Amino acid sequence: MKIDRANLASAIEEGMAQGFDYLVKITAVDNIASLQVLYFVRNIAQNKDELLEVDIPYSDAWVPTVTKYYAAADWYEREMAEMFGVDIRGRHVRRLLLEKWDGVEAPLRKSFGWGSPTYKSEE
Amino acid sequence: MITRINVGPIHPGTHGVLRLLVDVDGDTIKKVEPHIGFLHRGVEKLVENRMYLQNPVYMEKLDYIAPLAFDELYVSAVEAAMGIPVKERAQYIRLIQLELQRIASHLLWLGTLANDVGQLFTIFMWAFSDRDKVLRLLEESAGTRMFYVNQRMGGLIRDQPPDFAEHAAPLLDYLDQRIAQFQEVLEKNPIFTERMKGVGVLNREDAIRFGVTGPTLRGSGVDYDTRSNQPYYVYKKLNFSPQTRGEGDAFARYKVRMLEMKESIKLVRNALKSMPEGDALGMQIRLINPVPKNRVVTVSRETPRGEGMMYMVADPQRPYRLSIRSPSFINLSVLNHIAKGHRFADLFAILASLDPVMADVDR
Repeated sequence: MKIDRANLASAIEEGMAQGFDYLVKITAVDNIASLQVLYFVRNIAQNKDELLEVDIPYSDAWVPTVTKYYAAADWYEREMAEMFGVDIRGRHVRRLLLEKWDGVEAPLRKSFGWGSPTYKSEE
Repeated sequence: MITRINVGPIHPGTHGVLRLLVDVDGDTIKKVEPHIGFLHRGVEKLVENRMYLQNPVYMEKLDYIAPLAFDELYVSAVEAAMGIPVKERAQYIRLIQLELQRIASHLLWLGTLANDVGQLFTIFMWAFSDRDKVLRLLEESAGTRMFYVNQRMGGLIRDQPPDFAEHAAPLLDYLDQRIAQFQEVLEKNPIFTERMKGVGVLNREDAIRFGVTGPTLRGSGVDYDTRSNQPYYVYKKLNFSPQTRGEGDAFARYKVRMLEMKESIKLVRNALKSMPEGDALGMQIRLINPVPKNRVVTVSRETPRGEGMMYMVADPQRPYRLSIRSPSFINLSVLNHIAKGHRFADLFAILASLDPVMADVDR
């Protein structure tokens, strides 16, 4: 399900009301033109999974924190902030998680490193 | 007065390169701050530069206690992207191998757990020698003892040997007895039970809120197992039933793993009985554009440590992006919450009951 960054909090609140109270994973994909942040949520009681996709521009790469709803989001957000250079707004703990490369270009972006294929084949 | 104690990153109780900064007041834990990343290899970046068939070797090193689990998960993600089914006989063989791998992984965990709570070396030696017997059986089936790389798209690189069932049956009987013996030795020992019961309690609501998975989630009374909730292969046909306990403490997590080993033995027995004849070989290696067109796939599997998930944006030639949901990562993140208020010595029992593998946490 594609949603706007501005509607993320309300979409997650709505999901929580419907029983999507388990966060499976937060991750991101670098689509060259923009970044895509993904929230995998689950309704354990009804055994249903849902994927929320939020597109954000490179020049303004931030998402609001969802730690208010999911305690599991804490580490995932820190990992994503470090690996994709996505700023997470509204967090208390801002310490990076894995390499603690502060100020270095985000390593999982396609522009980082040598020989990283920056194309995506056409369908 | 708060004292800060540094544990690790090289410490026998942390089961790998994990550093813990522990704030204690006297002997009571006030806060635990795990510092991870010492084993970060950037696997998710590495695979973007390699063709599909070059990647299973990296996947196996994600969780070096249960390499087959992540190998199979990755190959399944590629199969989903290619849109090819797995041959029926191969599904049975994969299930047998995965369950044997789960037993081997849980046996290693059991030995190290017993060490951590003061049952020095007896259980450790027993569990390790039994694990070795399981690995030998896996070697017969998969070809090697530890790192297998025996999965191919649609099947395996080779079939099981014809006398495999004859060799497996006595070992399964032996393991059945042996697990009962482990339980007898541990659960009748007051030191073990006192160090495990009521320690590191994670209630049902918090287990869901913190997103923990696998035996940690089921130990808190949440009946969620990928093998039954998102069934794959022939788990449904072989009457798989997930094992849960309600207490949420370290002992419940121990119990769930012991019950899971018995369940795995049952599954392997059932699979060997009902395995069809036929072909189990995977397709021939195709290096150039194996995936017909761009696809996005999500595949989940129940690894010994919990639900492993791969989200793959698949390019025809190589994974454009592979995001790995590691069960150890999320289970470790709950450590601060469940260790607070306990004695410092309990920290290691709690950590061992979560069963993290640092290579899997750091990726």
